[in-house]
Amino acid sequence: MNKPEFYISAASTISHLPTFKNVGFSSVIGPLEANSVLITPDYKGYIEAGLLRRMSKILRMSVACANDCLEQAGVEQPDAIVVGTGLGCLQDTEKFLNTSQTIEGLLPPTAFIQSTHNTMAGQVSLTIGNHGYNMTHTQNTLSFEHAMLDAMMLLQEGDSHILVGAADEYIEILTEIMAQLAPGQDGPMTSGSSFFVLSKERNEQALAVVKDVATIGLVEDVQQNVGDFMADNALTIEDLDLILYAGKDNFPGNAVDYLALSGIYSTASAFALHYAVDVFQTDKKISNVLICNSLRKSNLGLMLVRAVEA
Amino acid sequence: MGVRVTGIGIVSAIGLTVGENLRALREGKSGIGPVRYLEGAKASLAGEVKMSNSELADELGLAAGPVSRTSLLGLKAAREAWGDNKRSGVIRTGIISATSVGGMDRSEVFYQDYLNKTNPDYDLLKTHDSGSTTERIAAELGISGYINTLSTACSSGANAIMLGARLILQGKLDRVLVGGSDALARFTIDGFRSLMIYDDQWCRPFDESRSGLNLGEGAAFLLLENTKSFALTGNRTLCEVSGWANAADAYHQTASSPEGKGATMAIENAIEKSGLNINDISYVNAHGTGTKNNDLSESVALKNVFGNRIPPFSSTKAFTGHTLAAAGAIEAVFSVLSIQNNLIYPNLNYKTAIEETGLVPVTRLESGNVVNAVLSNSFGFGGNNSSLVFTRHE
Amino acid sequence: MGSLKEDLKRQIIEQLNLEEVSVEDIADDALLFNDEGLGLDSIDALELIVLLEKYHGIQLTNPEEGKEAFRSIDTMAEYIRKRKAD
Repeated sequence: MNKPEFYISAASTISHLPTFKNVGFSSVIGPLEANSVLITPDYKGYIEAGLLRRMSKILRMSVACANDCLEQAGVEQPDAIVVGTGLGCLQDTEKFLNTSQTIEGLLPPTAFIQSTHNTMAGQVSLTIGNHGYNMTHTQNTLSFEHAMLDAMMLLQEGDSHILVGAADEYIEILTEIMAQLAPGQDGPMTSGSSFFVLSKERNEQALAVVKDVATIGLVEDVQQNVGDFMADNALTIEDLDLILYAGKDNFPGNAVDYLALSGIYSTASAFALHYAVDVFQTDKKISNVLICNSLRKSNLGLMLVRAVEA
Repeated sequence: MGVRVTGIGIVSAIGLTVGENLRALREGKSGIGPVRYLEGAKASLAGEVKMSNSELADELGLAAGPVSRTSLLGLKAAREAWGDNKRSGVIRTGIISATSVGGMDRSEVFYQDYLNKTNPDYDLLKTHDSGSTTERIAAELGISGYINTLSTACSSGANAIMLGARLILQGKLDRVLVGGSDALARFTIDGFRSLMIYDDQWCRPFDESRSGLNLGEGAAFLLLENTKSFALTGNRTLCEVSGWANAADAYHQTASSPEGKGATMAIENAIEKSGLNINDISYVNAHGTGTKNNDLSESVALKNVFGNRIPPFSSTKAFTGHTLAAAGAIEAVFSVLSIQNNLIYPNLNYKTAIEETGLVPVTRLESGNVVNAVLSNSFGFGGNNSSLVFTRHE
Repeated sequence: MGSLKEDLKRQIIEQLNLEEVSVEDIADDALLFNDEGLGLDSIDALELIVLLEKYHGIQLTNPEEGKEAFRSIDTMAEYIRKRKAD
């Protein structure tokens, strides 16, 4: 069966490394250092002041990346906006939880309004006045892959350009929580957002080709599933030039743990996708890349991408 | 082309099973009342499911361990919808659930102890993330592979059904359990109070005097199957989901546009997708929350689409309360029951038409006409608008 | 009563997180909800109701009532004075 392929025509990431508006970052960045912080652009250049004043970290990152992407792709209105987020708007959620439990009188509503998971996708649509399909997927570590699958289906159904992205934000209480729930977890918890324009047709902006995406919830045999996924795409593990993975490394050849670069957050695989896209721009020897997301053991996310042929 | 609905399950303020819900709808009996189960709720009225957490856990036979009320309700409804269907090696089966705040009912208990420094139980947070309910249901029913959760505020449940139907039509899955679950939480009650749209009296959808919503809780699931799955399971087809659409209002973070733009697009596109004519819609199960803003905007949208020939319509929120992410799924089950039993439900607590639009909802149970097609609306915060069309299976 | 207006401006800037605005930028008669003024919206209106209770002990339960009161700093100050005198 011949699977349809789709094109990434823009990519934008805000992370703890200099990824924003920095083509070629993949060849200059190294592993995150301890106490790294989110590297943010001057948001005023990307977000209207009236909206900006209310926005939490995750909203600022998302709207800035989304707008940057649309500008890069030269797409004014995407046909749909699809976002994945593992834990949603934690900063506003905690803020409202706090006020609702500590204030007796009237409660300020803004944090509640912006606590819902669909705030990112909603704010992007509001910023650009988009009336298309608007969706938010939230399946912890597979949220971004699910957003990608949805975007690919929309293109199959006749859409041309989909804005698809992911974001998760770190808040301080997470450190305490993880120390209790997952003692001994390595790597820093971080914030990050990546957005892409996924297009049906190849155009001048095409940066990479998305061959396939799969999510396997409650996975039992990772090796078996990776093998089946590759076979489904008429490839073997040996055909891969680069494997970006999160979780355990048992891959042959050129494999990079992307969590060392992105830090840990539920949708870090979106960072990995942008990393792959960037590698294609800087290293012409790399053609096939697999992103293997086992950030949570019971969930497996797979994304197969390749360089655009000259 | 529609997708077969072959199973339904529901738990809401008006009943713990499909049968109980149908009976309450027939009898015009609301489930909204004084809050009995949720501790510390700052609301005089809400649509609670009439079972405590421990009663739910006992009935479901769950082992000890942290479990959110959202998961308990979800499991109960999912089991009913799944019935005695079996895990299958050949039928590719998935699950999509929807929730607005996931396990917030447990997280807020943790957070209170955390703030008071009274030995907070961190394990309660294991159910916080929205996907955990879906994974729990999947594990129990033996579903693996495509397990997904959507969260688009009050339209989430409708979106789960839409996504499930699309996955079937694109041949990605053969069978998919779709729905949503949300437990009442102090967080959401306080949230809607902060927006000054929580009514301390009975909510009055589409009434001139309406002044806000009553929250509710619950869960509902539908089983969707393609021909291959259906041939193997031999399940009975209850009706079809034949139209769906999602559109963004892009007007305001919480309010709907006065001209009902997003809602109009969602309704029009869903009917177009179903291949029906606007005159074919027998009944509209409206979003109708009882807020000033929603009901006016939705009335305008209905006029935009149907002109002067608006089909019989009603909101069932005065029965169940607004169950947020579960609402789209709960009302989808009501839509299926409407077609199965040729019923149009009354819009409780209605007296006077909204001045600007003058629309009059159905106020008494109607059972005399054939119901062939039902439009179900779900509009949410952030301008997420979705509509579904259910049709009789010929 | 000049200081009530100054206080209100400071409180509004804080409550609504108007990072770019200073007390001097807000004229007493500027229309708060007009784009020519501060360009506030309905969410801000709710925040202003919270502000009235938090700083001035005034409860306003009907958001409609706020519409007139929140026209400008002048009308807000007037509203507060009236409510306090009642």
